[in-house]
Amino acid sequence: MTDKKTPLLDELEKGKWPSFVTEMKRAAVKSEAAGELLQVLERSYRERRGHWKHGGIVGVRGYGGGVIGRYVDEPETYPNVAEFHTVRINQPSGFFYNTKTLRTICDIWAKYGSGLTNMHGSTGDVILLGCKTEDIQTIFDEYSEAGFDLGGSGSCLRTTNCCVGPGRCEYACYDTLEACYNITNEFMDELHRPMWPYKSKIKFSGCANDCTGAIARADISVIGTWRDSLIIDQAAVKEYAANQFDIQGQVCDKCPTSCLKFNSEAQELTVNADDCTRCMHCINVMPKAIQAGKEKGASILVGGKSTIVQSAFMSSVIVPFMKMDAENDYEEFKDLVRRIWEWWDENGKSRERLGELIYRVGMGRFLREADIPPVPQMVFRPRANPYVFWPQDELDRSGTALDGSKL
Amino acid sequence: MAKGPADPAIKAQILEYLAKVQKAKSRDVAVAIGAKKTDVDNAVKELTAEDLVEYLYITTTYICLKGKVQTPNDEK
Repeated sequence: MTDKKTPLLDELEKGKWPSFVTEMKRAAVKSEAAGELLQVLERSYRERRGHWKHGGIVGVRGYGGGVIGRYVDEPETYPNVAEFHTVRINQPSGFFYNTKTLRTICDIWAKYGSGLTNMHGSTGDVILLGCKTEDIQTIFDEYSEAGFDLGGSGSCLRTTNCCVGPGRCEYACYDTLEACYNITNEFMDELHRPMWPYKSKIKFSGCANDCTGAIARADISVIGTWRDSLIIDQAAVKEYAANQFDIQGQVCDKCPTSCLKFNSEAQELTVNADDCTRCMHCINVMPKAIQAGKEKGASILVGGKSTIVQSAFMSSVIVPFMKMDAENDYEEFKDLVRRIWEWWDENGKSRERLGELIYRVGMGRFLREADIPPVPQMVFRPRANPYVFWPQDELDRSGTALDGSKL
Repeated sequence: MAKGPADPAIKAQILEYLAKVQKAKSRDVAVAIGAKKTDVDNAVKELTAEDLVEYLYITTTYICLKGKVQTPNDEK
């Protein structure tokens, strides 16, 4: 391990939380690259500027993503991190591993890389930090032999991600694990061969609790929901009431559409299913009494992203309900995704995410050209919102303008 | 991306075009050679597997002839 001082990094080891600095120091006992990485980071904190360059070509044959080139800007000073590339490995659906698998991942990485990992990156991949260009193909070959594949990077489909789904969660409205696995395999070319204006992400959440954070981060979000009514167990409702749970205050008053009514005398809870937005709040606070309906599937949303060309965007609903059945091989979803990508690829500017393109040209044009029918669920208050997709030629034919005047 | 084997004529046109430039977006290549972008993407996929073309990431992804563009530290 390096004996050079790192006073600023040492500050990050104080307090009750685990520290990445501590882990890097542990890695530095075995890895000179990890030791030099500490020095580069300490210097960056001291000088308040980064010392890394990224990009260029560091890949494996036939792949355009999965390895991100990193170079220190003073290779003579830091020869062990002159090349310090990041490798992304496609994680298993829902992050389910056994210990043998984890050992396999780490053993290969300890052989060729710095030993530093990030489990998991924000897109979900296993992130392996720090290897040399000359080892990349060997690393890929060994992981490939062990049953792993690279994840996405660059202007491609990024590694798809899902919540734990029915593997551990009773709220899951569809099998997120199977959907993620199936759809990842379907779009292997899109994942490994960057061809688009910029990145595209798909995230699968089993319910509206959205444990993958899809609505704020994914270009295409698949969020579990149900089409029929909530199922309410009145005996369990009475039990909550008997235990002094404030059903009116904690459930009904916090329902965003006020669709739940609690009769305190009869101790019964009823729902107006037409007004319910399937937000999951009532289920979260009264899980023993309230369940999702029986007719389950997913809502499809598009346009979520963090800040790049435009500010951060939340997603918009484009399909309120879609069955997500493995028996149909998710054909309806795959067909929709292909249409969306084709439209974005044709119209998007460089580094423009799907949501930014929709923002620039308008949701109406997107829906028309991607052949997606507009529905009231796309807007927050359809009865109050002048939400009309009448093209000008239709208005001209009608002879009446939107304000009622004659054209 | 188009499925099935790529058109050899498009592959040849891509190689010819990339020989004239340092790097290019596949969309620009498609416009330059008058081919559909999906066909260009499919051809590029084969050309990368044949080690004739490689992907290059500089804030967005480009393609270039293998070895034509240097890595950041080689440029010094």
